[in-house]
Amino acid sequence: MLDAFGPVPLVEFNAVSNTLSGQKPRVIVSKKVAPYVLLLPFLLVFVGFLIVPMGYAFGLSLFKTALVGGTRFVGLENYARAVVDPKFWDGVWLLVRFGLIQMPIMLSLALIFALILDSGMVYARSFFRVSFFLPYAVPAVIATLLWGYLYGPSYGPVAQLATALSLPKPDFFSPGAILGSLANITIWEYTGYNMIIYFAALQAIPGDLEEAAKMDGASALTYALRVKLPMIVPMIVVTVIFSIIGTLQLFSEPYLITNLARSVINSNFTPNYYAYTLAFVAQQYNYSAAISFLLGAVVAVFSYAFMLLANRGGR
Amino acid sequence: MAAAPGGRLPMDSSSQGMGAVPSQFMEQMMKTTLPSALGRVLLNRRRLLQGGVAAGAALALGGPMGRAMAQDKVNLTVWAWTPKTQDMANLFMQKYPHISVTVENVGQGAPHYVKLRNAVTAGTGLPDVALIEFNSISSFKALNALADLGPHIDPAIAEKFIDWTWTSVTEGDKVYGLPWNTGPMALLYRADIFEQYGLTVPETWDDYAEQAIKLAQAAPGKYLADFAVDSGWTAAVLWQAGWRPFKTEGTNIQIRINDEIAKSWANYWQRLIDAKAVDTKPGWTTEWFAALDDGTYSSWVTAAWAPVLMEQSMTKSFGKWRAAPMPQWQPGGKVASNWGGTVFSAFSTSPQLKEAAEFATFMSTDPEAARFWLTDVFLFPVLDELIEDETLMGHPYEFYGGQAVNTIFAEAEAQVDPSFEFAPFQDYVNSQIEDNFAMAVAGNGTLADAFDRVQDAVVIYARDQGYTVT
Amino acid sequence: MGIVGNTTRSPNFRRNRILLTAVLCIYLVYTLVPLFYVVTASTKTNADLFGTFGLWFAGEFNLWQNLVDLFTHQNGVFSRWLGNTFFYSLTSAVGAAIFALLAGYAFAKYEFRGKKLLFALVLGAVMIPQTALVIPLYLMLSKIGLLNTPLAVILPSLVFPPGVFLMRVYVDEAVSNEIIDAGRVDGAGELHILSSLTFRLLMPGFATVFILAFVAAWNNYFLPLVVLSTSENFPVTVGLSIWYASATLGSGGNLLFTVVMTGALVSILPVILAFLIMQRFWQGGLSAGAVKA
Repeated sequence: MLDAFGPVPLVEFNAVSNTLSGQKPRVIVSKKVAPYVLLLPFLLVFVGFLIVPMGYAFGLSLFKTALVGGTRFVGLENYARAVVDPKFWDGVWLLVRFGLIQMPIMLSLALIFALILDSGMVYARSFFRVSFFLPYAVPAVIATLLWGYLYGPSYGPVAQLATALSLPKPDFFSPGAILGSLANITIWEYTGYNMIIYFAALQAIPGDLEEAAKMDGASALTYALRVKLPMIVPMIVVTVIFSIIGTLQLFSEPYLITNLARSVINSNFTPNYYAYTLAFVAQQYNYSAAISFLLGAVVAVFSYAFMLLANRGGR
Repeated sequence: MAAAPGGRLPMDSSSQGMGAVPSQFMEQMMKTTLPSALGRVLLNRRRLLQGGVAAGAALALGGPMGRAMAQDKVNLTVWAWTPKTQDMANLFMQKYPHISVTVENVGQGAPHYVKLRNAVTAGTGLPDVALIEFNSISSFKALNALADLGPHIDPAIAEKFIDWTWTSVTEGDKVYGLPWNTGPMALLYRADIFEQYGLTVPETWDDYAEQAIKLAQAAPGKYLADFAVDSGWTAAVLWQAGWRPFKTEGTNIQIRINDEIAKSWANYWQRLIDAKAVDTKPGWTTEWFAALDDGTYSSWVTAAWAPVLMEQSMTKSFGKWRAAPMPQWQPGGKVASNWGGTVFSAFSTSPQLKEAAEFATFMSTDPEAARFWLTDVFLFPVLDELIEDETLMGHPYEFYGGQAVNTIFAEAEAQVDPSFEFAPFQDYVNSQIEDNFAMAVAGNGTLADAFDRVQDAVVIYARDQGYTVT
Repeated sequence: MGIVGNTTRSPNFRRNRILLTAVLCIYLVYTLVPLFYVVTASTKTNADLFGTFGLWFAGEFNLWQNLVDLFTHQNGVFSRWLGNTFFYSLTSAVGAAIFALLAGYAFAKYEFRGKKLLFALVLGAVMIPQTALVIPLYLMLSKIGLLNTPLAVILPSLVFPPGVFLMRVYVDEAVSNEIIDAGRVDGAGELHILSSLTFRLLMPGFATVFILAFVAAWNNYFLPLVVLSTSENFPVTVGLSIWYASATLGSGGNLLFTVVMTGALVSILPVILAFLIMQRFWQGGLSAGAVKA
């Protein structure tokens, strides 16, 4: 891309500098001030609509409101209770197991498809791209509805096929199968999402490298794996961290599927589900906030551990 | 309208609090409810064609004069999820031209209550009136959110309501809502399947168990019933058995969830589950409705409103259902129960409680409205007068193959014991019942164990919430 | 495009191309089968929906009637919801993508005081689940009088931290320091370097963030559910799930399940459209290289 853009922008740039030195004197933002100016719009909404509410939520977590007796300050009492709450840690453990199945499958599929699409060696590239992305565009309510039908123990297509072949009907909601069933839904939903991120990163790799590689006679596969893949490692790290966050905060899918799998999904199935139940069913807003912050800490530990690992691997 | 200084409405200001509604809230109301009311009525061609005062009034509002007139009108916002509620609100507006009502469906079940509770916590954003279920009254009372409508209603209307419903909404002379519909329970069963397998309509629960075993043996894969984990249903059928888990007096609460009655009820169902004489699939799913429709399940002990749900998806079994009185624990007993049902409550943040009371009174007691709910929406009435009305109760329903089922529900309604109390934190109790029953049904322990665990969890919770548990 | 060059070059290319396309087709089936259920369901009557096999059409083709029902139910409020969703998503996504681009660029290309701390804060804030924010956000919005207004949905949606991370990494990769330094040597202001030199390089990244933010806003459910209480303001997600609850939990038979499914189908279409529009910007990056080749 340097080659492609090298000469062109310079021409443009001269035009720009001409206007700059011309009749219209404009405020030139210096290198020192620039980052703050660039960050300002994001920071305004970030602080206003994320940090301030979060501070409020943290405040909530230091109090205790009871139906009888009102609100009182309890300091870190809610946290002391949360760190030894087995309902919280059961959920974390469940999601660790869930993530170990789901994340590698989802991310490697996304990466493979992105590399294939990027290589240009397929027909109907843009059709595949939009199709793979589509599940992400389906609202979670509908997505769960779809899978609820497909998993249906009596009338679902899989069950009907099994009946037709006189095989035993699979039970997607059994204790042994539920993690796989949920992982399948999230893989379906988010593979395209990650694929798009990788794809955009691959597209940004300067084209001249490709030329050089072809002169060496490297096959498309070697090129993709040896040259392109290493270049998007930072993006892969970002998506892994997104996935760690998304996994440990898993809520919508189990929540929406509860009605179908009552015997295996309870109201503290995942930590975020637990926080939801505490806040909106049990009306323990304060304790719920503490659970949320504790979960944030757990996510931070996992993400940090992964970053350390990635750094070590990189060296 | 009283608009007091801004700021948040203190939560504990209950009945006297309406003066303290922030002015911005009022502005908001004017901005949002008015145009929406207009759009709603104007767009509804059908209603315009019907003509009448409501449409006329709406048209008058639509003109340039609208704004000026609107100032004198009282705007009520009502949150309700039931169908055709706006139709009846329009009827109300015909009779009370100075009140304009906007019905909003903000969801039902969890979303509805989550929204209400958030608004209660924030002190703003509550509607004037909302539909709430009987089992949620105590929890909103515990939050001091419900307005006392006592001063705004004619005390004589108390006489019109079926006893237990009136008891449920009142405390001394305070009235926390007006009962609107109920769910008297009966046994719905499939006449065709009962005939095919020679089952008899059970009069007692023992008999019911016998029929269940008989059917499971005669037709593997078919069940008399599904024991779906459902806290509402559990409370309702235990209500019939005499279970009285909560007694709240001020900050004292008596908790008897795992008493003898609960245990023997648990053992009854555990036996049937172990014998595979009943199924244990989750309820309320499309699969489950399909199973009721295709004869996999041939009975359902349920409430009068059930056909509302069954009618639309049940094509094969339409007309094959019949109703019989709820099975009894004592031979020859005459005890029924109630499952669900709703009341119209007003919130203490509402600056127009008088109009809110007028609306609730109309919805509950206006003869035309009350009849409409029953015949058009399957919502069972709460008025003695209607239940004693023989032509109304004699109305045959095609869903029940022409059976005049209301006579059975009316009888059940009279047999509901008014002494049942829900907890001031019923949502928590329900989630505990469902989590623990689900475990038991999946084979981890028995239903009786589940009751013990629920009892323990709820006692801890109640203490944590500041109650003195006795 | 590069493809053209490749076709003529490699004799095995055709075979590989078919092979790889076949691999993608397998996954395509997995992706589309569940969606196909939405398509068939939208063409059925309610009775057929429950009575016939889900993954094929029923005898009676009822799509048109379902569409009519969808757009006339509750006085045609569905088109209003579509409009709302479109408005909320477009404004949120444009804002979120621009803010993310600027912030990501700042993080990638500048050293400044507090950079590490700030970035850690942005990352850390995402780690705490949204569940904790619902009540505080509700209280805040009610205090500033925005409750039940479109802004209550749009303003919080402008915060899209994943966009910032993506843009940071993307800028790192796509914009070389040489371009920026060249601009500086020539005396251009920092903002002009961004807007006139590097913006074009950033378009594919911007398009990606935009489409992700757009879809996130399009599917946003919990925030609008909590902060909106007038059905005229609802987005499709909230409206449809209320209809869905009515269809399954009791509506007196005046709302059908098939209408909800048709609504789901219709609500996916604009996202496809947005995606097709945005993907031109990825190809923009490629064709620049192709000119040279």
